[in-house]
Amino acid sequence: MNIRVEGTEEFGNEVYAELFERILVDLGLTNRVEVARLVVKPEVPLFLVSIRTRRARTAVKVSDISTVEQRQRDTYMMIGDESYAPALLALLWKRFGRERIEQITRLEVLVHGIKQEELEDLELDPGQELKKEVLDAVWRLLPEGFKVRHNILSESVMTVAATEHVMQPEYISLAEKVHREMETAPEEQEVVEDV
Amino acid sequence: MLMFDGGVYRISELYELIEDLGGFVIQKTQTQVMITVTMAIPEEDRPTIELKSIELGAKLVEVPLAGTEIAVVAPTLGRHHMPHPVCDIAEHLRRFGAITVVMGLARGKGRGTAQITADEKAFIEEYDAAVFILGNFADCIVKEKIRLFQDIDIPVAVACGPEISSLPNCEALVCGIGRKVERMRRGEEIAKLEETAAAVQGIIAARKQEVDEDPLFVHPAEIKQRLEELEPVKQSLRPAPIVLHLDGLRVKVPYEQSREMLEGVDIYGRKLKDITRISPSRLGGSTMIRILTKAQVASNDTLAVQ
Repeated sequence: MNIRVEGTEEFGNEVYAELFERILVDLGLTNRVEVARLVVKPEVPLFLVSIRTRRARTAVKVSDISTVEQRQRDTYMMIGDESYAPALLALLWKRFGRERIEQITRLEVLVHGIKQEELEDLELDPGQELKKEVLDAVWRLLPEGFKVRHNILSESVMTVAATEHVMQPEYISLAEKVHREMETAPEEQEVVEDV
Repeated sequence: MLMFDGGVYRISELYELIEDLGGFVIQKTQTQVMITVTMAIPEEDRPTIELKSIELGAKLVEVPLAGTEIAVVAPTLGRHHMPHPVCDIAEHLRRFGAITVVMGLARGKGRGTAQITADEKAFIEEYDAAVFILGNFADCIVKEKIRLFQDIDIPVAVACGPEISSLPNCEALVCGIGRKVERMRRGEEIAKLEETAAAVQGIIAARKQEVDEDPLFVHPAEIKQRLEELEPVKQSLRPAPIVLHLDGLRVKVPYEQSREMLEGVDIYGRKLKDITRISPSRLGGSTMIRILTKAQVASNDTLAVQ
């Protein structure tokens, strides 16, 4: 993981690089973030974070990660890959409601009143999950008072510009520029001079 | 000022010894079978207490901040500022004998938008000193955050990240702390905690000297001894029902219900209301007692005669 911080204050730059690294470690995201670039200008005030994530796992069908069996009116599921279990449970709860989902053991789930075919066709999208987690890391990092935000999202890059009062057009254009650079060549970027 | 850290077994022997030496128990904190007792004893009797502590198998440490209550103030109580380093500093000051209170401002976040209300200032001024914990940007601290501790009538220490040579509106400054997302447990971080404690000791010593220049009519610990005998205080379930300040004390009983009872307490033949100013505390269910100086009491006496 590569974290680059540009800003007007040397101490702040060093501390924020370390802070972001700690936050990512806490959230278990260090191997998901490829490059992070921070533009920190407290005197403007502007705080810009742009993150390029590694490719998330592609969408998978429930039948690929678990064995599904019809048992009378209910369906029994045995989750094969444990890493998908939280996401799968969350999806089942959201789709069918908690009262229908009975978690028998850590990896066994009984879905009451739902047919096997209906469950097998469900798809899990870990990409969305990853975006949510990265966004959480960004919110933890941004100074608390910088509530006015502008977000730019694409397949693998997420850029958030935050300021205190009014989001000026030049902040947005800087965010767009940084975002484009992160999408094309995240390692070879110019240093942002002025806002 | 010493702190005894040991077990409850035969603890009454320690209390008796302190009383015999003419000292005071400032604070007792019991956790199951362990107890810490903060005490004030005459310097020449220290070896006697040391011997007793060895006999009871306890540790005895010097606590220069005992008898003070200090507010540790963060811009907000959000996760950006809490729990580290605010709680680490508050905890470290406790190890030096202070009672600490952690508080977050309602609108202290941000740069230009950071503000403190008159009510919050008045709340902070009830304490002996305040420690403000600020962030990592010098520009932000020097230009904006200094407003937070402007016109506060008690000594203020500031802990911040960047190296700043001096700051207005505060009596002490500790640099190299700033915002953190993990506990301060590395060697250099512990050194910073020590530095903060030393800075607070410095401003408390200066404040003590100020109080000594115009001495109080009685020492707060003497009033504490009398108040401890009161039934509502005995029944108070709060961990420290009476907290000593440099120039008074906080009693954790409601002002409205207890005012008359407190005013009537006898201190060396005088009513408490004649030698103190009793007022409701902004901390819910508490009463503040500020002790008048000898000069003020004498002046009141003269006026009464006239």
